[in-house]
Amino acid sequence: MIGRGSNRYSTAAIAIQVAIALAIAGCSAAGHPMTTLAPKSNLAQWIQTLFIEVTVWDAIILAIVVFAFILAVFVFSSRVGEAAPASTASSDLGLEIAWTLGPTLVLVMISVPTIRTIFRSQPVVAPAGALEIKVVAHQWWWEFDYPDGAKTSNEPHIPVDRPIRLSLESADIIHSFWVPQLGGKRDVVPGQINELTFMATVPGMYPGQCAEFCGLSHANMRFRVFVDSPDDFAKWDRAQLAGPAAIPAGDLLASNGAKVFANSPCTTCHMIQGISKGYIGPDLTHFASRTTLAAGVLKNTPENVAKWIGNPQETKPGANMPALLLPGPKMNALVAYLEGLK
Amino acid sequence: MAAQPKPLPAHQPSYLEGGGILGWLTTIDHKRVAVMYLVSALFFLALGGFEAMAIRVQLWRPDNHALSAAVYNAFFTMHGTTMIFLVVMPLLLGFFGNFLIPLQIGARDVAFPRLNALSFWLALVAGILLHLGWIRGGLPDAGWFGYANLTERYFTPGLAIDWWAIGLLVSGTSTVLTGLNFLTTIVAMRAPGMTYMRMPMFMWSLMVTSILILIAFPALTIGLIFLLFDRFFGTHFYVASAGATPILWQHLFWLFGHPEVYIMALPAFGIISEVIPTFSRKPLFGYPMMAYSICLIAFLSYGVWGHHMFATGMGPVADSAFAITSMLIAIPTGVKIFSWIATIWGGSLRMTTAFYFALGMILEFTLGGLSGIMHASAPIDLQQTDSYFVVAHFHYVLFGGVMFTIMAAFYYWWPKISGRMLGERLGKWHFWLTVIGFNLTFFPMHFLGMWGMPRRTYTYGADMGWTNLNQLETIGAFILAVAFLLFYVNIFKSLSSREERAPADPWDGRSLEWSTASPPPAYNFATIPQIRGRDAWWILKYGRAGSRGVAAYMSGQAPSQPQPDQPVSVEDIHMPAPSIFPLVLSLGVGVIGLGLIIDWYRIILIGAAVTVLSIVGMGFEYADFGEQSHDPEHAPSSGGVDVRKIGLWSFIGSECVFFASLISTFIVYKSRSLAGPGPKILNIPLTSFSTFVLLMSSLLMVLALAATQRGDKRWERIWLAGVVTFGLIFLGGQVYEFTSFYNEGMGLTTNLFSQSFFVLVGFHGAHVAIGVLWLSVLWVAAMTGKLGKSRALSVELAGLYWHFVDVVWIIIFTLVYLMQAVPGA
Repeated sequence: MIGRGSNRYSTAAIAIQVAIALAIAGCSAAGHPMTTLAPKSNLAQWIQTLFIEVTVWDAIILAIVVFAFILAVFVFSSRVGEAAPASTASSDLGLEIAWTLGPTLVLVMISVPTIRTIFRSQPVVAPAGALEIKVVAHQWWWEFDYPDGAKTSNEPHIPVDRPIRLSLESADIIHSFWVPQLGGKRDVVPGQINELTFMATVPGMYPGQCAEFCGLSHANMRFRVFVDSPDDFAKWDRAQLAGPAAIPAGDLLASNGAKVFANSPCTTCHMIQGISKGYIGPDLTHFASRTTLAAGVLKNTPENVAKWIGNPQETKPGANMPALLLPGPKMNALVAYLEGLK
Repeated sequence: MAAQPKPLPAHQPSYLEGGGILGWLTTIDHKRVAVMYLVSALFFLALGGFEAMAIRVQLWRPDNHALSAAVYNAFFTMHGTTMIFLVVMPLLLGFFGNFLIPLQIGARDVAFPRLNALSFWLALVAGILLHLGWIRGGLPDAGWFGYANLTERYFTPGLAIDWWAIGLLVSGTSTVLTGLNFLTTIVAMRAPGMTYMRMPMFMWSLMVTSILILIAFPALTIGLIFLLFDRFFGTHFYVASAGATPILWQHLFWLFGHPEVYIMALPAFGIISEVIPTFSRKPLFGYPMMAYSICLIAFLSYGVWGHHMFATGMGPVADSAFAITSMLIAIPTGVKIFSWIATIWGGSLRMTTAFYFALGMILEFTLGGLSGIMHASAPIDLQQTDSYFVVAHFHYVLFGGVMFTIMAAFYYWWPKISGRMLGERLGKWHFWLTVIGFNLTFFPMHFLGMWGMPRRTYTYGADMGWTNLNQLETIGAFILAVAFLLFYVNIFKSLSSREERAPADPWDGRSLEWSTASPPPAYNFATIPQIRGRDAWWILKYGRAGSRGVAAYMSGQAPSQPQPDQPVSVEDIHMPAPSIFPLVLSLGVGVIGLGLIIDWYRIILIGAAVTVLSIVGMGFEYADFGEQSHDPEHAPSSGGVDVRKIGLWSFIGSECVFFASLISTFIVYKSRSLAGPGPKILNIPLTSFSTFVLLMSSLLMVLALAATQRGDKRWERIWLAGVVTFGLIFLGGQVYEFTSFYNEGMGLTTNLFSQSFFVLVGFHGAHVAIGVLWLSVLWVAAMTGKLGKSRALSVELAGLYWHFVDVVWIIIFTLVYLMQAVPGA
């Protein structure tokens, strides 16, 4: 079978495969951070291998069809009015058996690795040593709960070369978890827990996005997965477990902001450990440690934070977060406080 | 028919002439109905095209604000819904199917002409309901697939989803009636000598498509009924917090939705199998294999719905099963592509626009089929589903495969339909711009999908690298729009041109429609020809041996061409009388839908009154009509079975899927209730009694039919009265049962058990009630002496329906009532 690279197969077949792999990789050159063609996990790699195999078969079939088509239309036929009489052959048993059995054989060649990959990519129990993370999808953001109690939104970190087992739950409607470079989609369905198992192989930042239409701001339900080295991951994990960063002494703006926050309606939905207990929206304890806000839509800059708080609907139509109309100084203080929550 | 040919009338009026506006509104001529489908579909095609263009404008650049998120979501929802339900199906079935079925099988009309007109008006009403959101409540915006539980009132308040669900329900009803009508027509009304294996391939495809419609649409109907119960009556069929699963909708929807793909693709395969032989001057290659492959595709299409749900977590076993069945569909589809190429091979090609589009279809559809094989491989699908790769895939199937075919069909049959040719020069421009625009729009989507662009997103970030290809696609879409504009211009020019009249047989055609005038007279054929083989008209023209015929043709020797359709005794042909009731009935249904949605009970009552009165009116018309001898509705079929019986059997087949969906839901949900009463509440002794009564009523029904058939008026009345009484006793028992459940605290919305119980048993009760009503009408007819031996069939039909309803009850009684008495069940 092409793609397994077994030496029983001709070098030509392997050469074709390599050429196509290179062509595909060329198309997926840098600049496409959500490409499905540059696998960075074992799961994505399995799918990529299968994809190339099927693409090779598809290309062969396409070549045969196009070749036969060109021969039929341009070579072995005449135009009306020309001398050659039309052929009247209206059946040919041998041909018909050939084009029934041929595709059947191709499908057998495709279905064997397909089924192997299906079972390989959906282990019933989590692999030994797997990090099990609970993922809760909300309209329109992602919540990540780690077994040690760490909690974050829209920007999970995971260690490289360690199996990851995600348990996907929904807080409202159907969503779909998709980080193309780390593997295929898995729907997040209310009332059931779906699992996604993979092992990232290359550190980096991989953007993902909700892939099942989930209402008005479906397009704005993005996220980023950070694959860290084991040390970086441990460091990040420790920081997440700690309480909110202390406000530097003398930072009046930020301490004013803390007061604004404590007295604002923000506390109803957002948690900052030790300060507020809301759980409807993302946990803000380590807000400033994230690179984006509003589920990957805006870069985490003071201007964007102010813009988001003042008018969430502009960035994310339909968002449940109400606009908070603050006078300028208060808003600046609040932003300064939030941006200090490393 | 008539032995002595009479002199030709000076001018045979075509089906298009005469009648005025009222003539069109009341028409039941299949050709006029077809033309009305055409007009509405061309309107909706422009509307759906406009929505597509707006989508492409919004995606021109990242973070664009040409459309708001709300408008974008409404537009992609309505683009899909419109193109599938209001454009492609009406064009393939309503327009080409309606026009050509009687003409290709040598019949005067379809089996049930009034039902046919009703189908059209219902389809139009559905189209209007789907768009009333423009006026009030907003356009539907949850996608054409309307996944639960986003469609629940809690997540999508307002009227938009109500318009969508009720519009689709009406549209589905119209389509099922069409399927029933077409199936009956093709099975029963073929010209003498036209065996199944002599039918044109388009007829094969429509026959199988009709069966698919009958067994696929009930699943959608049930899904929509659950949704409407959830939205209007507060049940929880798709609400996870009540123990239900929103995945139920996906199973029901795709159980309909995948066959639906073939409901669109199979007629297209049929049309291509007509166009290619004509313009290659060769018989279709591998006819039997082509027919069998249609059947096989239809059969397999009913077992592959899960490939739309690989990402939902069905588990590796189900994933593998659905992957394999999905791959299997590639085999019969491959047979079709190779057979088309083999038909061209060695042919004498006539490079018309119709043939160009057919050739284009072969290549574009092959690309769509090949990417389909990728989706069948579940792991690959997990990367591609819900990305632009899928958008590319199904547009290559539905545009490259089906829309190209529709265009080929237009250029091919337009002369027959309108009596005028479409411009070939303009047609070639139309073709090449379509090819360029289509591929420029949709081919790059493969790459966008592989680069991770999700579908149904109104905006995207500039840092994703998707901008350039999106701009290329938008340019392609504008080229495609120009191509469509040329198509409309071509139609307009051909209709407004005064000179060029199309001959009866402009393409040297092979099937019967080319034997009659262009456009045909209302009665299609003056004499119904005797069919002696495949390519019936070709044989009539050139004799049986095709090669000799062609050789004669090539040498310029005129074949022994029969006078095209010699009219013999036109005045002897009686066509069924026009009727206003299909239109009025559809309006009534539309008004009921309107009243339900805007929650105004008086309007519902008015609509219901109009509907009921028009059903009664149609019934009286039918009774009068039955006396006429040339009534196609009473013609004995080619198999000797009355068409009404075939129609009713088709209906029963469809009802089986309806009840199967309800029963499956009950079985899945009965033990998932979180609280409240369960199966133990059922009163088995009481239900056993009413079951016994219902079974006895079937016995009385047999006796009533026997009495009618032997002309025994006295016992006919007694037995019929007995059936009605027993039916009423059963219904009374059900009313008592429901009331006592209600008093014990089990209402419709109490829990999953109660809602699936009440909906299942309630719908069965409604069927019994309709049966009682039907039998009461027969009883009144019997009492007034209007029944009798000659009308035994009327009793037989009611009996068939009654027995079916009883059989369904036996299944319900066993699964719903008795099974709960079995330990462990």
